[in-house]
Amino acid sequence: MSLLLQVTANGILLGGLYALMALGLGLVWGVLNIVNLAHGAFIMLGAYAAFYLYTLLQIDPFVALPVCMLALFCLGFLLQRYVLNLIVRAPMFNTLLITFGFDVVLTYLAQIAFSADFRAVNPVYAGANFAVAGVTLPLVRVLAFGAALLLTTALWLLLARTRLGRAIRACAQNLLAARLYGVQPRTIYALTFGLGAALAGAAGDLYGVVSQFNPYIGNSLTAKSFAICVIGGLDSPVGVIIGGLFLGLLESLTALYVGPTYTDVASFGVLVLILIVRPTGLLGRTA
Amino acid sequence: MRAARGIGLGAAIALLALVPWIASPTLVQFGITTLLLAALAQSWNIIGGYTGYASFGNSVFFGLGSYGTAVAMAQFDLPFGVGMALGAVLAILCALLFGFPLLRLRGHYFAIATLALALAITGIVSNLEIAGRNIGLVLPLLKGDWVFYEMALVLVVLVTAVVFWISRSRFGCALIAIREDEDAAAVMGVNTTRYKITAFALSGFFSSLAGGIHAYWITFVDPVSAFDISLNVKMIIMAIFGGPGSVFGPLIGAVILSGVSDLLSTEVSNMASLFFGAVIVLAVVFMPRGLVHVQQNFRRLRWRYFAQNVRNHRI
Repeated sequence: MSLLLQVTANGILLGGLYALMALGLGLVWGVLNIVNLAHGAFIMLGAYAAFYLYTLLQIDPFVALPVCMLALFCLGFLLQRYVLNLIVRAPMFNTLLITFGFDVVLTYLAQIAFSADFRAVNPVYAGANFAVAGVTLPLVRVLAFGAALLLTTALWLLLARTRLGRAIRACAQNLLAARLYGVQPRTIYALTFGLGAALAGAAGDLYGVVSQFNPYIGNSLTAKSFAICVIGGLDSPVGVIIGGLFLGLLESLTALYVGPTYTDVASFGVLVLILIVRPTGLLGRTA
Repeated sequence: MRAARGIGLGAAIALLALVPWIASPTLVQFGITTLLLAALAQSWNIIGGYTGYASFGNSVFFGLGSYGTAVAMAQFDLPFGVGMALGAVLAILCALLFGFPLLRLRGHYFAIATLALALAITGIVSNLEIAGRNIGLVLPLLKGDWVFYEMALVLVVLVTAVVFWISRSRFGCALIAIREDEDAAAVMGVNTTRYKITAFALSGFFSSLAGGIHAYWITFVDPVSAFDISLNVKMIIMAIFGGPGSVFGPLIGAVILSGVSDLLSTEVSNMASLFFGAVIVLAVVFMPRGLVHVQQNFRRLRWRYFAQNVRNHRI
């Protein structure tokens, strides 16, 4: 029983991080109708940013969070403003393919620059943990979970309460009407993509603290983020949190009851199954 | 004119078939890789280029072909032909089983569902005892690269012949109708499900044959490289670069890109992959319909052709 509780707690903590990973992908997908296959590569770059900030400058990964976000925001903004805006009206397949191109370029540049060795960000308190009701909680995972929830709330507030958020939602709902009201889609698209990349950067920073990484983690993280968006739908950050928690729990429970080598089979199998049963996603709008 | 073309084509194939007896061993090895990639790009062309379904799961078929051959030869001492047949049967079964539900999905959903399928199947195979788990299997060694070269050449000719038939048959018209507007095609009486699944199975069949030849050639399979997603990306980019939905485009794309990437990878390792990424980005921006389309329009529009592509799709 305590084992089950422990595994459930692990799954929930992992799920919070997963939700943050998917948040950026879902935002870009919902507003720009681009499924960014380089999203996982952005997460990977965020992890490396945290790694080098910590090993070279001794900046704590949780303090470095805004720095990682800013760096990835700039990358995302420039990519959308100067490349993706050129093809945003092309058929869906072209946008999918070009982001895969980004993914390949970023992955191999990272491999040349950072080598293929596995890395991890290990602050001094990395091994610390505390117990609640017989369940051991690693400190960094709880902190990462908290940061993920905080950022999700921040995004929700940004979208719901600010001028920029209204402009972003307007572009998602009706581009023509948004234009008539003086919204500049070029800039808004670049800002939205930058925001998505910044969220990936934050997720990468936290991922680097709780897990090992190398330049090749991108693809499976992209697919997991996509799975979460499909489960949770693109309508609200709350759906993404539910999707993230579901996937985190699913993976932890699979590792316990079936075997740790089956976690990927379970998460991607469930994704395929959900798409088969409900092609628009579990909580997604019915297209 | 038609007869002249046919003779020219036959002469070109005969010349290619002579390569192993004239060229150096390295060139023959390069030839095998290029021919296999050309066959894969051409198989992808059936489902991606003609039917318009962006499959990221064709590496599954390649992997099943590799594993079918490897399991038959390494675990049961069966001949190569039986292994290929086993791989092909597995691939077709997979295409029928998953094609039915997955081909109902459109756009992003289909692309990512096939991507997830590839990742899930990699996970399953690396847990199977009979497939050597995540270590893989070693196949018996066959000396003489020329056998593999000729087999790969036959495969390319075969799949290109099928694509040529598709391009001028009722079946192909139905596929193109589905690509251009699926709902309209259905209204016109095209049984879209049946056509899509047939195209998917055809594509899978030829990909699995390429997998079988490749496995026997390198005499080793393991889950990560047999189901490698980047192989699938290579098929797509070669088809797109050359001209998706055309008969010879994918072959031209495969020869050019694999030639350049071979040159680059002898200089600096990793440069080849970077090059592929850069080509994808540039091709999608400037020539999304491939070299064949450039060749048809360049004479008329000159450099404005590229500017026009950008103007049509920018915001």
